[in-house]
Amino acid sequence: MEYKKITQEFIAPTVEEAIEQGAKTLGIAQDKLDVEVLDQGSKGLFGLGSRQARVRLSIRNGEEKKPELNPKTERATVEKPIAEKPSPIVTDTVEIEKDPVLKLAEDVVWELLQKMHIDAKVEAKYVAPIDERDQRMVQVEILGRDLSILIGRRSETLNSLQYISSLIVAKEYGEWVPLMIDVQGYRERRERQLKVLARRMAEQVVHTGRRQNLEPMPANERRVIHLELRNHEYVMTESVGEEPNRKVTIILKKQK
Amino acid sequence: MKELIEYIARSLVDDPTQVEVNCDRGGNKTRVELRVAKEDMGRVIGKGGRVANSMRVLLRVAAAREGKQASLDVVEPR
Repeated sequence: MEYKKITQEFIAPTVEEAIEQGAKTLGIAQDKLDVEVLDQGSKGLFGLGSRQARVRLSIRNGEEKKPELNPKTERATVEKPIAEKPSPIVTDTVEIEKDPVLKLAEDVVWELLQKMHIDAKVEAKYVAPIDERDQRMVQVEILGRDLSILIGRRSETLNSLQYISSLIVAKEYGEWVPLMIDVQGYRERRERQLKVLARRMAEQVVHTGRRQNLEPMPANERRVIHLELRNHEYVMTESVGEEPNRKVTIILKKQK
Repeated sequence: MKELIEYIARSLVDDPTQVEVNCDRGGNKTRVELRVAKEDMGRVIGKGGRVANSMRVLLRVAAAREGKQASLDVVEPR
């Protein structure tokens, strides 16, 4: 990891966080940095289609040599249209050095895939938290053809790959980094299906008054169900059983 | 297959020099044997064998790509 460059880009859920994170990473006080907001980001719906804020930080050097910043992109005066359609995949400009964590995550996943004889493209980015209780995550997207072998039954392979990658990244970075690996948008698709399923099953519970057991699911999928029904008026959820057959049951809330 | 397990193990242990991977070929089935320093056993096995099991899953894919089957054993250091 090197921070020798005087200009570096940072990505975080909000502009403020990006600046803060950048200042911390560079070890420079915020007032010693010139900030150029590249993208203010947008919230998106349900964490889908959301965009991270992107800033470019330059270290102001002592000899009053102002870095060549475009005045209209100065922090205070930024007016970026947020109304523009959020694109599902934002390919970050890599004109500047890539964030070290993202680079590391890409390298580790790529290395593992190579050794599994799988030829694919790997792209890492930060994704915004779903809500205030959620953590910011590194998402590694694997792109290529015939990658269903990478998902496996009940996404077993994908989760193993994710777990091993997380451990290696944590070991090399010296700190735990929440990592999510996706193959060809599988997790996003699956998440949408799970949310629909959760709603439908909840409706049935309300209708029949009987509990509904869902299929066994890995922890991350159960979480989607729990989150989706967290604020449901009439039902609540719990996980029962032992891994790998742990499943969500949806039950009627006791009415006061 | 050997490279995969070697890479994972070396990346996870504190003492990569003691990582040793041997493959035992018997026809279509390969038995992969992983040895690490005693202090590192926990790292390659994991809580409830989670790390070892994840390695097995990935090994299975790697083996399948070569049209083979493989099993992984983490063995006590000599």
